[in-house]
Amino acid sequence: MVKYERTVTGIGSLLEEFVSAGVLVFFGEGAPDELAEVAVVHKGSPMRGEIAPGDVVVLGETHLKVLAVGPVANSNLSNLGHLVLKASGETEVELPGDVCVEAQPLPNVDVGMRFAILGGK
Amino acid sequence: MAEYKKVKVVKGPKGWGGPFLIDPKPGKDKVVSVTGGGIHPLAQKIADLTGCEAVDGFKTKVAFEAMACVIIDCGGTARVGVYPMKKVLTIDIYPTSPSGPLFRFITEQYFCSGVRLDDITPA
Repeated sequence: MVKYERTVTGIGSLLEEFVSAGVLVFFGEGAPDELAEVAVVHKGSPMRGEIAPGDVVVLGETHLKVLAVGPVANSNLSNLGHLVLKASGETEVELPGDVCVEAQPLPNVDVGMRFAILGGK
Repeated sequence: MAEYKKVKVVKGPKGWGGPFLIDPKPGKDKVVSVTGGGIHPLAQKIADLTGCEAVDGFKTKVAFEAMACVIIDCGGTARVGVYPMKKVLTIDIYPTSPSGPLFRFITEQYFCSGVRLDDITPA
């Protein structure tokens, strides 16, 4: 099941600073400029299901398996298109907004790329 | 010219940072709610006590210089850093401690977390 289907429309000028720390931040279009500056900006259809461990985050050709989901991650995503993706390999979140995926290099994100969340079951 | 009142903000249980005074001035008199879903009650209370205008940061663009303070509901990576980096007084409703790539900008002078309605008082 496709829980979330979006297209990347912008890349913030400070995104690299976050990527080098193993973090990808997302915000839906309409976020204030200062937040877009640190984020992957995207647009598309509303969320169809809550993100959960076992799901897969798709970024272009890269598939990232979700290991842990923080308690406020789903409200962030449905309200603001906001997601904090950490390629930490941890099965417990460090912060309530985090979504942890398998430890692997984060892909280079480009405008036009697919950003989706697929249900694992 | 509008008269503004000051308010004091202290951290809540398990919160971090502050306390600080919000001291609005003409031209620096917007209380910006960067929480999604409209104006957060904390933002409204600060606006009511100070005489500032509460603004939904996702609907209305506000220059950093015009922000008396911002209210965020950040789980700890992006918003906690962005506003302190721009030297805007930042109030997080979650008891977040400094973290994330911008953590070096998050100081007690500009950031206070775990804040509840009762943690905001006239000064």
